[in-house]
Amino acid sequence: MTADLTAVAGAELATDQLATERLAARATAPAPRPKARAGPLEWILIHLTFLVVSVFFLVPFVWLLSAAFDAKATAYIQFPVEPTIMNFVRIFTEHDFGRVLVNSVFVAVATMILVVATVALAGYSLSRLDLRRKDWITYAVLLLQTMPISATMVPIYGLARQLGLRNSYLGLILIHAAIELPFLIWLMKGFFDSIPRHLEEAAWLDGRSKLRALVEIVLPLARPGLGIAAGLAFLSAWAEVLMVVILIDQDSLKTVPLAFYEAMRTQGGYVEVQYGVIAAMAVIYLLPVMVVFFAARRLMVRGLMSSTRGL
Amino acid sequence: MAVARRGRLARNRLYLAGLSPAAFLLALFFVGPALWALGSSFTNRALVGIDAANPRFVGLDNYVRLFGDPDFAKVILNSVVFVIGSAIIGQFVLGLLLALLIDHAQLRGFLASNFVYAAVLLAWVNPTIIAGFLWVAMFDFYNGSLNTGLHVLGAQPANWLGEGPMLAVIIANTWRGTAFTMLIFLGALRTVPSDIYEAARVDGAGAVRRFWDHTLPILRPIAALTLLSVTMATFGTFILIQTLTNGGPAYQTEVIALYAFHEAFQNHAVGYGSTIAVVMLALNLAFAVVFLRWSRARA
Repeated sequence: MTADLTAVAGAELATDQLATERLAARATAPAPRPKARAGPLEWILIHLTFLVVSVFFLVPFVWLLSAAFDAKATAYIQFPVEPTIMNFVRIFTEHDFGRVLVNSVFVAVATMILVVATVALAGYSLSRLDLRRKDWITYAVLLLQTMPISATMVPIYGLARQLGLRNSYLGLILIHAAIELPFLIWLMKGFFDSIPRHLEEAAWLDGRSKLRALVEIVLPLARPGLGIAAGLAFLSAWAEVLMVVILIDQDSLKTVPLAFYEAMRTQGGYVEVQYGVIAAMAVIYLLPVMVVFFAARRLMVRGLMSSTRGL
Repeated sequence: MAVARRGRLARNRLYLAGLSPAAFLLALFFVGPALWALGSSFTNRALVGIDAANPRFVGLDNYVRLFGDPDFAKVILNSVVFVIGSAIIGQFVLGLLLALLIDHAQLRGFLASNFVYAAVLLAWVNPTIIAGFLWVAMFDFYNGSLNTGLHVLGAQPANWLGEGPMLAVIIANTWRGTAFTMLIFLGALRTVPSDIYEAARVDGAGAVRRFWDHTLPILRPIAALTLLSVTMATFGTFILIQTLTNGGPAYQTEVIALYAFHEAFQNHAVGYGSTIAVVMLALNLAFAVVFLRWSRARA
């Protein structure tokens, strides 16, 4: 079964499996890797390199935090000249960020619910489907997975306009859900493949319908997979910006990525860039991502590694 | 035969029904737009005005124009430079080196390796639009951290986004995406059996020799897949470059996704923008087919 899955998997998926196996191996037995003692020169060289790498990767975040809490924030990293939380107050009073946040949470949660229901059904069905060309369906799903949404941005705009899906949360939620489907269908198929069929077959013999057997017997066993699907769908809808930019232009419907995008764009020209205010928005925007990242790093890594689609 | 087929279909009917909601969404937002782009690429469809409501069929005009368009040649060149610079040299090479270094440091029991790992990952998990904003500030000519840092070191400040925009977006994208390659190679390195190393060490093989003879062959198949996967992702880059330079100045960082966007939404030429999207999808499909073939061959 596993071999059959990897047969059509992409690199990130195959590696993800490697990672899972590794974690499983680590759980059962501590890695018996020998620890050799390092010389002082090696210690210094490695730690110097680590220092340089950490500075490169962390400096932008240090700046972000210092700017968000500084009333006189500039593009330069410094300890806040005038420490303040006014930047955060201002985004709520002047930029109507409260409503924007509520909108974003609504869209992300609705996307999450739709995605979980759809991939539970589709993953299970694909797993149990018994057709000769079933491989082709899995192959097609993976092919869609690699399709960049930046390439379909123009047609999606045109199509949404013709279908009346612009400036509507229905359109936004449907498309955010669709973006996550290929990977999550594939992921859920793997979970359902590992649940033995005789469990549901016994339920059928008891006289339960196939749908009831799925809901009462199979889905509870697939709960870890559904959790991953839910988390990833929420984060993906939370972070997605391209579709929001092309589909929404009504102020009352604005979500966080769009508010952030506009704040950045309108600050150019002769207007002094309000780094502090934008940084405060960024901090709030990042918060849920960070929470999930530190709470469930494995989940995030597994999901984000699937995003071969350009952003 | 016919009976067997009907039986098979009947057995699968419910499962096909279960696939239908997903199939509907995928058809609507993946297949539909691709076909819409293909259809529009043969028309003079515009964003506003009479050509928006009633686009006219223009045959292959858009394709003829595209392949004679000097801007498009520049855009393709930019995309290639951006992919080679940020995906291959930046993310791939840096990610591989970091994975080797972190793996080695973990072997030595250096705790700092966990910190570096988290730092690289942090740059990757934040929404791309935030990455764009962070680097706008880093590259700022007058106050940016980068130029202030250069000043402290005694070097001249550089006009990053004005004079070296391609280098700037390459640096930003390397920062954002290195974690992907690093994670994949860290995973792969953990599968290298350590007794091979021990045997090689006893034989007196140096570190370089051991890497070349034992580590590299294990990494090679996955390296090819990672390279393709990173290339595909980078080829579609849009929001990072849009927030940093918006393709400018003077088309110096205009990559293919931005060009399609600008033609459709700034020049209002939706038909022409769709043609660019079709070319982009075709190139991506070619990559994807190779990618799936290789991953199938590997298993």
